[in-house]
Amino acid sequence: MTGYPMLSITAFLPLAGAVLILILGGARRTRWIALATTVLTLATSVALLGGFDKSVTALQWVESAEWIPAWSLSYGMGVDGISLPFILLAALLSVLCVGVSWKSIRTRQREFYAALLVAETAMLGLFAAANLFVFFVFWELILIPLFLLIGIWGGPGRVYASIKFLMFSLTGSVLMLVGMIALHNATGTLDFKALMLAREGLSVTSQGWLFAAFLAAFAVKVPMFPLHTWLPDAHTEAPTAGSVILAGILLKMGAYGFLRVSLPILPEGVQLFLTPMLVISAVAIVYGAYVTLMQTDIKRLIAYSSISHMGFVTLGIFTLEPSGVEGAILQMINHGIISAALFLCVGMIYERTHTRQIADYGGVVKRAPVYSALLAFFCLAATGFPGLNSFVGEFLIVGAAFDTKVWLGAAAIWGVALGTAYMVWLYYRVVMGEPNPGLSEFKLELGIREVATLAPLALLALCLGLYPELVLSYLRAPVASLLAMGGLP
Amino acid sequence: MNGPTATDLTLLVPELILVAAALVLILLARRIRHGHVASAATIFAAGAAAIAAGQALAWGSTSGFGGMLVLDGYSQFFKILIAATLVVVALLSAGRRDGKGVPRGEYHVLMLLAATGMMLVASAADLIPLYLCLELMTICSYILVGIRVERPTANEAAIKYFLLGSFASALLLFGISLTYGLTGTTAYAGIAEALSGPEAIRQPLLLVAIGLVAAGLAFKIGAVPFHTWAPDAYQGASAPVAGFLAAGSKAAGLAALGRVYLVAFGAQTPVVSAILVGLTALSLVVGSIMALPQTDMKRLLAYSSIAHAGYALLGLVAGTPAGVSATMTYAFFYVFMTLGAFGVLVALGDRGATLEGFEGLAAQRPAAAALMLLFLLALTGIPPTAGFAAKFVVISSAVRAGQIPLAVLAVACSVVTAFVYMRVAVCMYMRETELPAPARFPAVVSAALVLAALVTLFGGILPGALVQWAVAP
Repeated sequence: MTGYPMLSITAFLPLAGAVLILILGGARRTRWIALATTVLTLATSVALLGGFDKSVTALQWVESAEWIPAWSLSYGMGVDGISLPFILLAALLSVLCVGVSWKSIRTRQREFYAALLVAETAMLGLFAAANLFVFFVFWELILIPLFLLIGIWGGPGRVYASIKFLMFSLTGSVLMLVGMIALHNATGTLDFKALMLAREGLSVTSQGWLFAAFLAAFAVKVPMFPLHTWLPDAHTEAPTAGSVILAGILLKMGAYGFLRVSLPILPEGVQLFLTPMLVISAVAIVYGAYVTLMQTDIKRLIAYSSISHMGFVTLGIFTLEPSGVEGAILQMINHGIISAALFLCVGMIYERTHTRQIADYGGVVKRAPVYSALLAFFCLAATGFPGLNSFVGEFLIVGAAFDTKVWLGAAAIWGVALGTAYMVWLYYRVVMGEPNPGLSEFKLELGIREVATLAPLALLALCLGLYPELVLSYLRAPVASLLAMGGLP
Repeated sequence: MNGPTATDLTLLVPELILVAAALVLILLARRIRHGHVASAATIFAAGAAAIAAGQALAWGSTSGFGGMLVLDGYSQFFKILIAATLVVVALLSAGRRDGKGVPRGEYHVLMLLAATGMMLVASAADLIPLYLCLELMTICSYILVGIRVERPTANEAAIKYFLLGSFASALLLFGISLTYGLTGTTAYAGIAEALSGPEAIRQPLLLVAIGLVAAGLAFKIGAVPFHTWAPDAYQGASAPVAGFLAAGSKAAGLAALGRVYLVAFGAQTPVVSAILVGLTALSLVVGSIMALPQTDMKRLLAYSSIAHAGYALLGLVAGTPAGVSATMTYAFFYVFMTLGAFGVLVALGDRGATLEGFEGLAAQRPAAAALMLLFLLALTGIPPTAGFAAKFVVISSAVRAGQIPLAVLAVACSVVTAFVYMRVAVCMYMRETELPAPARFPAVVSAALVLAALVTLFGGILPGALVQWAVAP
C-alpha cells in the first residue's frame, strides 16, 4: 500500500475535471477533458485493486482526518470487498456515459459534462465512505447533478420527472438525516467501524426507529415497492447518460446502504422488519414484472424491469444468508452492467429515430445486424441466461429464498419466468418480423464509437457469467463478517 | 450612577464608528452627488467596525454602563456578522438600478444607524437598553422600507410594517414592565437571580411577562404568528433593504432572544422552551407552505426567511449553551445565503422581481444562475453548502434536547421548501425565455455575490473554522 490517499484522489478527480471544464469551457475541449478525466479515474480505481487483500474483512486503503472537531465529525474513506466492485463499476460506467453522449448532447455541453463528473464524484465518494457523515454528504450530493441532467437534457416530460425524482429522494434522505443525527447523539460516533461496537448501547426500540428512518432513504433509492413511482419517469425522461447512472449506480446506493448501515449497525431493527421487507421484495419482483409486461415504451419497459430486478436484490439481502447476500451483491453489479447496457442500446437507436414506442419498430435485424446481435446478448443476459452474468446471481438468490421460505422462492421463480417473457417479447417486437416502413429513412447500424461503448459491458457480462468468482471472491470475507457482526447465522 | 467612563466607551468602539460615519454623511448629505461615495463610506465604516469588534475579543468578557452593556464572544460574534451584513448590503445598494429618487446620503445614514442598533442589541444585558436599541433598529427600518416615497407599494409596506412593529414594541415594553414589577430589576443578571434560588418567584404573571417579551422579539425575527409584516415589507422595499431586513434584523433578534433566554430566563427553561417550540413549529410549517404559491421573488424569500426563523429557533429550544451556539452558527450562514439570494435579485433588476424573470437565466447568464443555484441549495440545506452545516447543527441540537418530533417536522418542512427553491432552479435551467438578457452586473454587485458565495461554500466544507467562535453568552 502506498501512502497516497488513493480513494480521495479517485473520488475527487472527477470534481477537479468538472471545475476545469467550467473554467476552460469550449465546446470541443469539454468532451475531451471529460473523457480524459473519466479514463484517468477508471485507471486510478483499477489501481486500487493492486495491494487489495481479498481475505481481509476490515476496510482497506483507509484514510481518516479531522473534519469538524467541534461536532466530533471526521472525514474517513476506506473500501472493502463489497464496495470495491461498485467503485470500479461506477468509474467504468462514467467513461461509457461520456462515450454515449459524445454526439447526442449538443446543447450546453459544458454544464452537461460538469454535472456528469460531479455525479461521478458523488458515486465514488459514496462507495468509498468510511463513515456515515461522509456517506450522507455524497448521498445528497448526487441529487443535484442528476436533477439537472434529467431536467435540462431529458425528454419531453423532463421537468416533471426531475422534480419528482428530487422530491422523492429528498423526502427519504431528510429522514435519514434525522436518523443519522439520532445515531450520532446516542453513540457519539458516525464511523462505520466504531458504530458496530457502539450499537450495544441502542435499545431494540431505538434500533427499530433508526431502521425505519434509514429505510425511508434506502427504500426510495432502491426503489422498493410502493415507493418506486419516481423511477419510471426519471429513467424514461433522462438523457441516456442519466439513465445509465440512475440504473447502473443510483439504484445500488440504496441496497448498498442496507449492507453498510442497516445490517451491521442495526441488526435488531433488521429482525423487527424482516418479514415486511421480504414480503415487499417478493411483491416488487412479481408486480414489477407484470407492469413491465404491459409497457409500450422501450425505455419505460427497461425502467420497470429494474423494479423487479431490484426486488431480487433486496430479497437476497434480507434472506440474511451468505449465499443470498453474496448473490444480491453480485446481482447489483450484474444489473448495473445489463441495465446500463440496455439503456445505452435504447439511447443509441432513439438518437436516430426519436421514438421510443415499441410499435414503431420491427425488423431491425435486417437493417442493423450488429446492433441486433448486441441487443440480443444483453436481453439474454437480463433474463438470466446460463453462461451470462445474471444467471449466477439469480441462482444464488433463488436458492437462498427457497431456504428461507418456500413461497419466497416461488415468487422469485415466477419473477424469473416473467422476466424472460418480457425481455424476449421486447426483442421479438423490436428486432424480428418485417421491417417497419417508417424506419427506412434512418441509418440504424451502429458506428465504431458506439460498438466500443457497448463492448466493455458485453465482455464483462460474459466474463462474470463464466467466472463469477471474479466478483464473488471479493465478497466472501466481508459478507461472512457482515452476517457474523449481525449476530446471525 | 455616574456618567460613562472611558472604559465604557471603549466597549462601544464599533458602534461609535458607525455613528460617526452616519453623522458625517448627514452633514454632507446635500453635497453627495454620487451614491458610490456614500456606499464607500458605509463599507469603510462597517469594515472598521468589524475589525474593532474583532480586536475587542482579546479583552475577554467585560461590561460597562453599570452592567447594561456587555462585551463577550457572543456580542462580538453578532457585531461582526452585522458589520458584514452592512458591507454586503452597501455593495448591493451601490449597484442597484432602481435607485432613482432615493436620497443617497440619508439612505446610508439610516442603514448605519439601524446597524448600530443591531450591534447594541447583541451587547444589551438589560431590558431597557435592549428595548431602546431594538427601537433604533426598527425605526430606521420603517423609513428604509418606505424610502422610495413615489412608490405606493413602498408606502403601503412601510405603514404596515410601522403599525405592526409598534404593536410588537408595545408588547415587548409591556413584558418588560411586568418583569420589572415581578423582579424589581431590568438587568438580566438580576432577573435570573430573582427567578432562581430558594425564594424564586412563581407567579402566573411571570408566564405572561415571558410570553410578551418572547412575542416582541419573535416579531423582529419574523417568527409565526408575528410574521405578517415580513412579506409585505420585503415586497414593498427595494431588494437590498429587504435583504438587510432578512439578514440583519433577524440576526439581531436572535442575538437578543439567545441572551434573554439563556441569561435572564434561564431558570424558566420549561416555559420558554414551550413557547419557542410553538414558535418554531408554526414558523416552519407556515413559512414553508406559504412560500409554495408565491411568484413574487421577494415575497417568496420573505416566506422562506420565516421558515428559516423556525430553523434558527430550533437551536434555542434546547436552552443550553450548545443550542445557542447552534443558533449562532445557523444565523451566520443564513445571513450570507439569504443576502446572496437577494443579491441576485438586485443584480437582475426588473427580471429579478418575479419568478418568470428567472426563466432561461442559465442560458443567458450562466454564472448568475450558478450562483443563485448555490444559494438556493444552501437555503435548502444540501451538502456541501453552509446551509447543510447550519441545518445539521440545529437539528442535532433539537435531537439532543429530546425534541425528535420537532426535528422530524423541521426536515419535513425542508422538503417543502426544497420544492419552493427548486421551482426557481427549474425556471433558470429548464425553461426558455423571450426576454432580453439582463445587462451586465455592476462590479460591486458581483463582489457582494462572490463574497456571499465564498462564505456559503467554505462554510459548508469547513464549518469548524466558524464554529469555534460561536460561543454562547
